[in-house]
Amino acid sequence: MAVVLSKIIGCFRSLRPNAFLLITVVAALCVALPIGVIFAYLFTGASDVWTHLLDTLLGRYVANSAWLSLLVACGVVVIGVPTAWIVSVYRFPGRSILSWLLLLPMAYPAYILAYTYTSVLDFSGPVLTWMREMGMSEWLMAPLLGLRSLPGAALMLSLVLYPYVYLMSRAAFLDQSVNLMEAGYTLGQGRWAVFRRVVMPMSRPAIAAGTMLAIMETLADFGTVQFFGVQTFTTGIVRTYYGLGDTIGAAQLSSLLLGFVAFLVLAERVSRHRIRYYSDRLRKLDQTAVEVRGLKAVLMQLLCCLPIFFGFLLPTAILLKWIFIYAEWQSLWRLTWNSFALAGVVSAIIVFMALAIAYANRLYPSKWLFYLTVVVGLGYALPGVVVAIGVLIPFGNLDSLISDMLSIFGVQPSLWLSGSLFALGFAYLVRFLAVGYGNVSSGLSRIRPSLDQSGRLLGLSQMGVLHRLHMPLMRGSVMTAILVCFVDILKELPATMILRPFNFNTLAVKAYELAGDERLIDAAAPSLMIVVVGLLPVIWLNRSVGRE
Amino acid sequence: MDTAALIIRDVSLGYQSLEVVSRISLDLKNQELVCLLGPSGCGKSSLLRAIAGFQPLSSGEIWLSDRLLSSISWSVPPEERRVGMVFQDIALFPHLSVEANIGFGLADWSELNRRERINALLSLIGLEGLGPRYPHELSGGQQQRVALARAMAPKPNLLLLDEPFSGLDTELRGRLASEVRTILKSDGICALLVTHDQREAFDFADRIAVMSDGRISQIDTPFNLYHEPKNRFVAHFVGQGETVNAIIHGPRSVKSPLGILSTDQDLPYPLNTPVQLFLRPDDLIHDDSSDYLAKLVRKHFRGAHHLYEVQLDSGVVLGCFAPSHHNHEIGEQIGVRLDVEHLVVFPLDLKEEGSANVHIEQPF
Repeated sequence: MAVVLSKIIGCFRSLRPNAFLLITVVAALCVALPIGVIFAYLFTGASDVWTHLLDTLLGRYVANSAWLSLLVACGVVVIGVPTAWIVSVYRFPGRSILSWLLLLPMAYPAYILAYTYTSVLDFSGPVLTWMREMGMSEWLMAPLLGLRSLPGAALMLSLVLYPYVYLMSRAAFLDQSVNLMEAGYTLGQGRWAVFRRVVMPMSRPAIAAGTMLAIMETLADFGTVQFFGVQTFTTGIVRTYYGLGDTIGAAQLSSLLLGFVAFLVLAERVSRHRIRYYSDRLRKLDQTAVEVRGLKAVLMQLLCCLPIFFGFLLPTAILLKWIFIYAEWQSLWRLTWNSFALAGVVSAIIVFMALAIAYANRLYPSKWLFYLTVVVGLGYALPGVVVAIGVLIPFGNLDSLISDMLSIFGVQPSLWLSGSLFALGFAYLVRFLAVGYGNVSSGLSRIRPSLDQSGRLLGLSQMGVLHRLHMPLMRGSVMTAILVCFVDILKELPATMILRPFNFNTLAVKAYELAGDERLIDAAAPSLMIVVVGLLPVIWLNRSVGRE
Repeated sequence: MDTAALIIRDVSLGYQSLEVVSRISLDLKNQELVCLLGPSGCGKSSLLRAIAGFQPLSSGEIWLSDRLLSSISWSVPPEERRVGMVFQDIALFPHLSVEANIGFGLADWSELNRRERINALLSLIGLEGLGPRYPHELSGGQQQRVALARAMAPKPNLLLLDEPFSGLDTELRGRLASEVRTILKSDGICALLVTHDQREAFDFADRIAVMSDGRISQIDTPFNLYHEPKNRFVAHFVGQGETVNAIIHGPRSVKSPLGILSTDQDLPYPLNTPVQLFLRPDDLIHDDSSDYLAKLVRKHFRGAHHLYEVQLDSGVVLGCFAPSHHNHEIGEQIGVRLDVEHLVVFPLDLKEEGSANVHIEQPF
């Protein structure tokens, strides 16, 4: 990782400032390509399949996706907000450990959680067998058997997505000036009244933003809903593309999903926008946490442990147990190499481009550059399925064009682009460039302009400031960007499934396929590998937060 | 009228092993405006937070209107103390309008009474018509006045102000301090202000308690603090000045390098005791006809007058006011004369009293 880091920084140093602009333009075009393609299909004529979809399935897709989003939104708030409040306001034994253990479920892709729980709660699984032996009644077991359903999928997704809400609301709680709460107390208001009338209204934008992120992930999810047989937009798109072989229909469904997402993105932007003047500079909540002891402390510990247990410890224990039963190490190394090499190369490219975009914005701030950057930021909102379809269509067309031209020379037609790792890497770039950019630019924005100015006055050139001042200061955020991109790519299922070259498998795809074939135990090794690697950014982020 | 509203008895405060306030006692009379003045870190803000109920005591008691608020074993929760507070960062609720901010503490009042109170306060702070605005739409000074109104709204028995003007620019600061004084006086409320800015304290307070290292050095009117400081710390912290060596020359006079000075009060020192005489720039006057000469080493043009810094033969540098048009060159020997009404005499350095290392915030 450190080697990659120094390579990126090394390459970056040799760039000329104008190259930043060029890279920004290229990046924006890359992200705009699939979006443009998808929306272009909105205006082409409807296919037969489309009419069929409209009559039969579309209503169900919309309803299921909407219900799922709503349930997940409730779930993540119910889990994320109280835990964030507890670890922000109260001091009890284990608080600091729990406060970061609560992030662990982030390492799980929801589909892995889904199939571990399915096996545990199966009719012949350990829990129900035990319940039958204990002679418990049917109606107690019924809800457990109903996991393979929409509410079940919502539960799985909530368990891994609540950390978004937890993180953002904790930041909001901690960031509030204690003086505001104390002002409430001196005005004769009790603890509950201050929470209701001061803390909640001011944290609402942050909580909303975290919830929006969770909903976006929910709409992008394919593995969980497919595994549970819940028909949503993403499963519909894949089914239309593979099952019905209808590109246009798939693209049109994608554009509808994009409409959904676009609405959410706008809502999120609006709520984020309001966060800004809510943060204050003086004493922070953390220093005045209230000491709790005895039963109350135990209760709080338990409350915080619940999501950690169900979202991380229990499934990890199950996966570990399976691994000891059976693991095919030979193929695991192959898969790991494939996944790591691909994710490593693409995340290095992503962070390199993200740095260029961040610097273009710092050195040449202008309106059109701002719009280009907004386009780059859209990528993350695109569900993997949509990106895959949006990349596949133009690349496929390009392939037939190339094949036509080459046939003059007698070369056999082939999927030059759409069947190659290039298409897959391109899709990853489109989807995760925004993640890299977000991390890098927040690191850069923490370097005050006065630092640049004093550097210049002390005789450094513009690029000299970059080399001598920014690069050493940016190491942390560049590292974070690489890690987060790496893990996101590793976890990305639908785009990989659709775009991977023939016979090329990654950890995520293999785990999903094995689980889909009910070979749950075989799926444990690749799943655990994803989870373990997924822990890296959580630990890294916690470390850097602790240092600050 | 003359009963004490706030009584602070032997109060000590500390964080872990560090004691930041040691055995302070202070009374506030009804309708009195008192200021805690001291350098940063002297414990004044901690004392304020203890009165508000955010900080436990390690000794002593705090009483307000014959009710025990805090002791070692007893603490009324902040929301039941009937103590209002204006915060250093203003701390207006950003999600509420000006009216809703002012009305925040009036949750259990009737709608009609609440409206009336809010309007009365808005006109008291001179912001009629700005009720529906939001805090970020107001200027810094306006925000501070809203914060004041919000704290006054529930008619607290005591108002605490924690460096409320420190975020504002200098000019606004001075103006607001006397404005706030007028507002509080017209409301008849009793208030305690914490600041490190003496001009703010002069503008605001009936009495000032100068604090250093967790203790009160002197409580007095602004006039007395300036003219009759009880110790070196107060002398140097409030206003400017320098000490020169002198000798007790008679029961009511001392002999200084600039001549013999007398006062109308007995000096508590035997004849010929070496002492230190504290001189402020307004005690030393530039006079071309004077027999005493001093070397002009620095000068500060102040518009209406010059502030000269002159060096005596002993090496001591004193401040000295001179009329604006008396423009002398640096290095010149100029005539100076003492014009002292109150003799401020300290014993010769037995111990340093810790005054040497105190940073003094002075607009020199």
